[in-house]
Amino acid sequence: MNLLLSDISLPEGLPERKENHYIDLNRMNIKNCMGCFGCWVKTPGRCVIRDDAVRIYPLIAHSERLIYVSRLFYGSYDVPMKRMLERAIPIQKAFIRLYHGETHHVQRDVVPKQAVFIAYGDISAREQDIFRSLVARNAHNMMLSGWDIRFVPEEAVWETMLSEVRVWENC
Amino acid sequence: MGKLLIVNGSPRAPKSNSKKYIEMFQRHWGQESEVYPVTSGEHECICREIGKYDELLLAFPLYVDALPVPLMDFLRELAHTGLSPELRVHVMVNCGFLEPEQNRMAVEIIRCFCEANRVSYGMTLCIGSGEAILNTPFVSIVDKKMKKFASGMTAGRTDTLKVSMPLPKRLFIRASTGYWKAYGEKYHVGVEEMNSDKIEE
Repeated sequence: MNLLLSDISLPEGLPERKENHYIDLNRMNIKNCMGCFGCWVKTPGRCVIRDDAVRIYPLIAHSERLIYVSRLFYGSYDVPMKRMLERAIPIQKAFIRLYHGETHHVQRDVVPKQAVFIAYGDISAREQDIFRSLVARNAHNMMLSGWDIRFVPEEAVWETMLSEVRVWENC
Repeated sequence: MGKLLIVNGSPRAPKSNSKKYIEMFQRHWGQESEVYPVTSGEHECICREIGKYDELLLAFPLYVDALPVPLMDFLRELAHTGLSPELRVHVMVNCGFLEPEQNRMAVEIIRCFCEANRVSYGMTLCIGSGEAILNTPFVSIVDKKMKKFASGMTAGRTDTLKVSMPLPKRLFIRASTGYWKAYGEKYHVGVEEMNSDKIEE
């Protein structure tokens, strides 16, 4: 399964394939994570907030190839993508394990994945450095076996999305 | 020292660990301070008054290795309103993992915010095992570090302090498993169910 998650509208021409899922986060109704731990201790694997996020985090868990498209906010994902990532914690368990020498949450049925991050906006070198390090940290909690980051201006996002999706066609 | 605004950046601010850490901090601060929970949703109002404060302490939990969304919304509003160059920003961040270093990227994001908005950055306190440490005998270690953090702010220092349970990793994992098992039991959810690999099934 392949998944493209974007905080910017999707370009025309994305190939329609059963295994490809394309999501424009701005068209989704996704509320903020409340930090209630319900998905760990009350209804494990299910978020207590029943909005559009509950059909997206299973796709994140089961995708082998992922493209994240996000504007940057001081070197972090901007709010729409960050909100979705926070709402994806039902794919992890409360329990802690040792992973790459650090303590991290145990994953549920999450497949290892290759990810491409398309980070856009007016991005300084400092923000690029922060985002690279942030993604490297996220890799431990997102089951990323490999990843690439593309820093692009906003006007080049659609073109970059299309070219990264074309890479899936050859996998 | 000037007036201090403490922002509780937790999405569950009224019953958050950040609130408890803030209360511990205030006992050592010993001067006037005001607390703004981001959940109160009055960002515009408080940001308009930011000029009243000389010190800003951002206290929050780590979410996905970075800042929780409600705190990002607050910072966006703050940048939009404008900041006085005299303002000094401090960070107190806690994560549930044993290693306080896992908070590092959240601190870097705040530093980047300060640089972009031309305000100075002061003290950092990174707390590991922050979900549980307050209910253990190790709370005294946090209290000691909190005192040092508050005095660093008073003295105008720039320093990074770290604190966590002084446990070997495997022992921490065993203790945290017990903590979460007990948490689930409060809702009549057993270990087997909590350990389920199923997602939305």
